[in-house]
Amino acid sequence: MTASRLVRLMIPCLALPGIALAHAAATGPVYTLIAAHSTLTYTFIQAGAANQGRFKVFTARFDPGAKMLTVVIDMRSFDSGDAQRNGLLGGRDFFDVAQFPQARFTSTQLRRTVGGYVATGALRLRGVTRTIAVPFSWRVIDSGGRQVGLLDGTTVLKRLDFGVGQGQWRATEWLGNAVTVRFALRMTAAAR
Amino acid sequence: MLRNTRARWGALSQLFHWLIAALIAVQVVLGLTGVALPLGMAKLATLARHKSLGITILGLALLRLGWRAVNPTPALPGNLRPHERRLARLTHAVLYALLIALPLTGWMMSSARGFPVSWFNLVQLPNLLSRSVPLYHTLVRVHVALAITLGAVLTLHIAAAIKHHFVLRDDILRRMLPGAPPRPMGTLPSAKE
Ligand code: HEM
Ligand code: HEM
Repeated sequence: MTASRLVRLMIPCLALPGIALAHAAATGPVYTLIAAHSTLTYTFIQAGAANQGRFKVFTARFDPGAKMLTVVIDMRSFDSGDAQRNGLLGGRDFFDVAQFPQARFTSTQLRRTVGGYVATGALRLRGVTRTIAVPFSWRVIDSGGRQVGLLDGTTVLKRLDFGVGQGQWRATEWLGNAVTVRFALRMTAAAR
Repeated sequence: MLRNTRARWGALSQLFHWLIAALIAVQVVLGLTGVALPLGMAKLATLARHKSLGITILGLALLRLGWRAVNPTPALPGNLRPHERRLARLTHAVLYALLIALPLTGWMMSSARGFPVSWFNLVQLPNLLSRSVPLYHTLVRVHVALAITLGAVLTLHIAAAIKHHFVLRDDILRRMLPGAPPRPMGTLPSAKE
């Protein structure tokens, strides 16, 4: 975790007057990930057929009051379901996990929609930062006396926007450019 | 004539036979090329075409068997000895079986590997098996063994066709070819018609 991220996470906790003003709406609980019950998958089209993989290690933090959604993904934790393909996807032509071990989404804007939100923000993936919009649904349920947040959504990225696919892999006829990212996050309320 | 008679293959049976024969030739080239290529876009494309064409062959083989079931089968010539008849029937049965088993094992091994099969990027086919790496390796071996068997049986099949045409000089090849109706069965070319 970088220092700047730490600071950003701590800001809402600091009771400095200016910051309290800036986050006037920052009330209510903050939600953090229950990793064991959350999934983050990607699907792409290879030779006309959908192929799915997932990320096993990631963290997420949602602060509805402060309108902040942050997701950090350990890129080394992906699994495409095939050992040979894992080697290829982790290598330099695709995720290049040795050089870019982490991907991160930080929202800069959160807009309410029917049944949920659209988070607009920066996705940093494979060293490239791009603004993306992530629509998701949000429900808080009571689970045995605990407040549990369910954050579900889908967003479609273009892999070439982030350099995922170098050299011959830039062609999209047999390996589609569109990658559908699906997330079903289970989050627990924590004190602010 | 579209339909078979007792003396001759009809146009549709001939079309099935020669279309499948041509596709098999392309299919084997795609399979061998695909396996030899290094991991890359070209390998992906070649094997994808191999899978699509293989599924096409499966469909054509099933249609062909259906058509065969509702048509008379031309009788084998009278000059064949019983063991030759048996061998001819066995060869044809094995060829039909391979036309089904090769695509099926291909489809099964792709399923076991966890790579879903698509038919020419148009339709994604369901997985026949759940993911299993050991099963995938076994199925590759079966697929390759069946392909080698196909090569051996086809050698026999084609050699027999050549022998019938050029040595025995009967109508076996001619009745599988479009063109003039053949002489009645069992008639030698020197005989008066
Ligand atoms: C009549 C149909 C088919 C024939 C004659 C055929 C024949 C072959 C041959 C000759 C090879 C090369 C084997 C080697 O040298 O290692 C091959 C490989 C392969 N075939 Fe087929 N095949 C057929 C159908 C299919 C179908 C329908 C699929 C999949 C849906 C398929 C999937 C594959 C794959 C994935 C390989 C590569 C195996 C590897 O990675 O080692 N085949 N096939
Ligand atoms: C140059 C290649 C080929 C030649 C010259 C050839 C020739 C023939 C001939 C003359 C017949 C007719 C037999 C009869 O009238 O009783 C025949 C039947 C047959 N051929 Fe071929 N063939 C060739 C390739 C193939 C290939 C590639 C396949 C399939 C993989 C195939 C499968 C069959 C089958 C299954 C029959 C039996 C038809 C039936 O009884 O329904 N042939 N072939």
